[in-house]
Amino acid sequence: MHMANELLSLPVAAGTFAIATAGLGLICRKAGRIISTDKLALMGILGAFVFAGQMVNFQLPGMPGTSGHMVGAVLLTIVLGPHLAAIVMSSVVIVQCLIFQDGGLLALGCNIINMALVPCYIGYFLYRAFTAGRASSLRVYVGTMLACLVSIEAGAILVPVQAALAGVLAVPFSTFLITMVGVHLLVGFVEGMITVAVLGYMRQVRPDIIVDSLPGGARLSRSAVLGTLAAFAIITGAGLSLLASDLPDGLEWSYAERPDQPGFEPAVANADSTIAAVDRFQSKYSPLPDYSVRTSQFGELPHEAAEVSTGWTSFAGVLGSAITMALIWLTARILRKKRSSVA
Amino acid sequence: MTKAIEIENFSYAYPDGTIALSDVNLGVEHGEKIALIGPNGAGKSTLLLVMAGFVRGTGKVKIDGLEVNRANLRSIRACLGACLENPEDQLFMPTLFDDVAFGPLNMGLSHEEISKRVADALQTVGLPGMGDKAPHHLSAGQKRAAAIATVLSMDPKIITLDEPDGSLDPRNRNNLVRLLKRLSQTLVIATCNMNFAAALADRAVLVNKGRVVAEGDAGKIMRDLQLMVEHGLEVPGIHFS
Amino acid sequence: MHHAHIDKFAYQDSPVHRLDSRVKLVVVLVFTAVVVSLPRTSLSILACYAVGPFAILVWAGIPLRFTFKQILLVSPFVLVLALSCPLYDRTPAAVAFGPFSWRLTLGWMRCFAILAKFIVTMLALIALVSTTRFSDLLAGLQKLGLPRVLVIQLGFLYRYIFVLIDRAQHILRARAGRKLRNLGLKAELKIAGAMLGSLFIRSIDTAEHIDTAMQARGFDGKWRTLAKLRIRTADCVFASAAAAFIFTLYFFLKPLLQ
Repeated sequence: MHMANELLSLPVAAGTFAIATAGLGLICRKAGRIISTDKLALMGILGAFVFAGQMVNFQLPGMPGTSGHMVGAVLLTIVLGPHLAAIVMSSVVIVQCLIFQDGGLLALGCNIINMALVPCYIGYFLYRAFTAGRASSLRVYVGTMLACLVSIEAGAILVPVQAALAGVLAVPFSTFLITMVGVHLLVGFVEGMITVAVLGYMRQVRPDIIVDSLPGGARLSRSAVLGTLAAFAIITGAGLSLLASDLPDGLEWSYAERPDQPGFEPAVANADSTIAAVDRFQSKYSPLPDYSVRTSQFGELPHEAAEVSTGWTSFAGVLGSAITMALIWLTARILRKKRSSVA
Repeated sequence: MTKAIEIENFSYAYPDGTIALSDVNLGVEHGEKIALIGPNGAGKSTLLLVMAGFVRGTGKVKIDGLEVNRANLRSIRACLGACLENPEDQLFMPTLFDDVAFGPLNMGLSHEEISKRVADALQTVGLPGMGDKAPHHLSAGQKRAAAIATVLSMDPKIITLDEPDGSLDPRNRNNLVRLLKRLSQTLVIATCNMNFAAALADRAVLVNKGRVVAEGDAGKIMRDLQLMVEHGLEVPGIHFS
Repeated sequence: MHHAHIDKFAYQDSPVHRLDSRVKLVVVLVFTAVVVSLPRTSLSILACYAVGPFAILVWAGIPLRFTFKQILLVSPFVLVLALSCPLYDRTPAAVAFGPFSWRLTLGWMRCFAILAKFIVTMLALIALVSTTRFSDLLAGLQKLGLPRVLVIQLGFLYRYIFVLIDRAQHILRARAGRKLRNLGLKAELKIAGAMLGSLFIRSIDTAEHIDTAMQARGFDGKWRTLAKLRIRTADCVFASAAAAFIFTLYFFLKPLLQ
């Protein structure tokens, strides 16, 4: 769910970047005051742990070939508290971009908000809300599950919202939203289970680590797992059937194929008009307006000649670029050969 | 003249009550190379942490004449460089240069002095000009050498090394022996590899179950078959140079 | 997949590698912003923009195979979304391209534009990160105002990713060696929980050791670093050349290609 540059427009990218920078700056200032020196190494290592932890996958039942893995935000927020966890998760997102090229440079703001700031704070406050006061094993379990589900959903919902604001995609907002929510329901559920399992293990092996940050115990008992599975199935089933009744499956339906369906056109018109409105807003206020969109409806253009000449210039542009790149590549190759033969 | 390390009647128990060190007495002269030998879990690492001021118990510990206490900690750490068991823990900065410069920076030296010290330390351990490398691009032997460079750059009088031969192949171990022999500092080396200890140390201190069992000339102690076997060790075989 | 040598090209040497990290970062940021703001329907200008990062990659000696493999690796999410465009936007459009012309839908145009922009901006990002050591990038980011806590955090994170990924791989191998069939959700979760838990505990132990190593070298809570960055003539030349490239294309070539 890494946001990419191309799904954003400049104003949205700049806006989210500003929000992320301001938020992170505030958090860092706050953390600078509460952080103790021995936490520095711990935070760094736990960031690396999130990477390594994402490699530990496990088979999901009933879905051969698919496997789940941990995201880690809620585990960190339980152990480190929301401020430090937000810094750690932000650094994870930055490294994913700058070393593994996951997520674009311009989308960094979006990704920090969606995958670090929002999950850490929502996760922490949900977990706290359930375990504050007296923390029974059940409360820890439910709190962790809910924290994982809601925090991941919240981050996932923001992706289509940002994409819709940018207006680059043709996918209707509602379809994108439903797909993201559906997929991340599963991700959040897996995250909840695995976080509880990890907390349970640590409580058994090294209770001293989490003793002051985690009151009560988290256990993965058979009844708890079965109960959660059942609740999950009911919620998913109910949700899906509700959605299915008035909104067909996002990836299957399209305008041209089913123009006859009732209750379908308003949804599209709605989504389209929002996107169009955002488009108008953008072309009005963006520093580099996207002005060619409306003139690009080639089918309606009466000037056949103008169109052909556009075709030829763009052909020349592409061809010229390709030749330039080939030349650069060849020159470098020859130079390198020469150098290695000299040496 | 003061001794490099002086430990008198030192005892320490872990928070859970397990006794780690009991009634340890140890003196190390300046310029000596001491091997701290003993089986796993004997208390060697804990003893090294005591010298560096990380573990405090009952008894007296003096480093270069300075008593180890909170007030003296800064001077102690400038005087005694502790090399941890795992180079991965010792090398925590993104580049080798930053890592070797970390100690001198904390000592408040000038930037020219720091650059010079880093270059010298890397030269000494056989990694000249590798300051721009990232630790994860180094080999096991290079990591070990780099870990030693991180304390060398602080120019300490004493260096403690915890199992520096761990997971090194014979060639790398040989290189390490040669490197350590070249150093003029007082060395305290904890190891359970008797060949390694015999190749390096003038004096050996045998530690087991938190007590100093025997101490004296390295050759004499390590050739005492009965003593060594009794404490789960072995007599060194081939001596390498 | 994400092996420990993903950043090995950053440690090569070339004129590009020697450029100041701040200059490269800002140039790539501006480049990405301009490319993203290009019109959706004009693909040819994107091909022109691709020349820039391509030239830098070649000049710096980064293998193109590695570059394209890396792009492919991170593409799935964008690919799915781009490919969904033709399903929703079926406004017909006539496309003329040199001697060829055919009928398409605007959805396909959007799809191609998204993918082309993705490839071009990825080329730029890879050109940045595979010619810049992460430590230099960090030093640059700090100079550009990244909070110190975050700089320290990123430094540790970068250092220990590779250590912990190694450990995780060992643990995974240990499981693969003993687990011969699917054990059902509860057992699978319990095993994964134990694996992650032990990884977590070892991480915390490592952190304690690092803290010891830091204190042993006189760390007192004040983080000190040596600044090594310096803007040289080469950096200024590069910045001007990049700016000339980006804005010449934008203001002169783009109107021609409309």
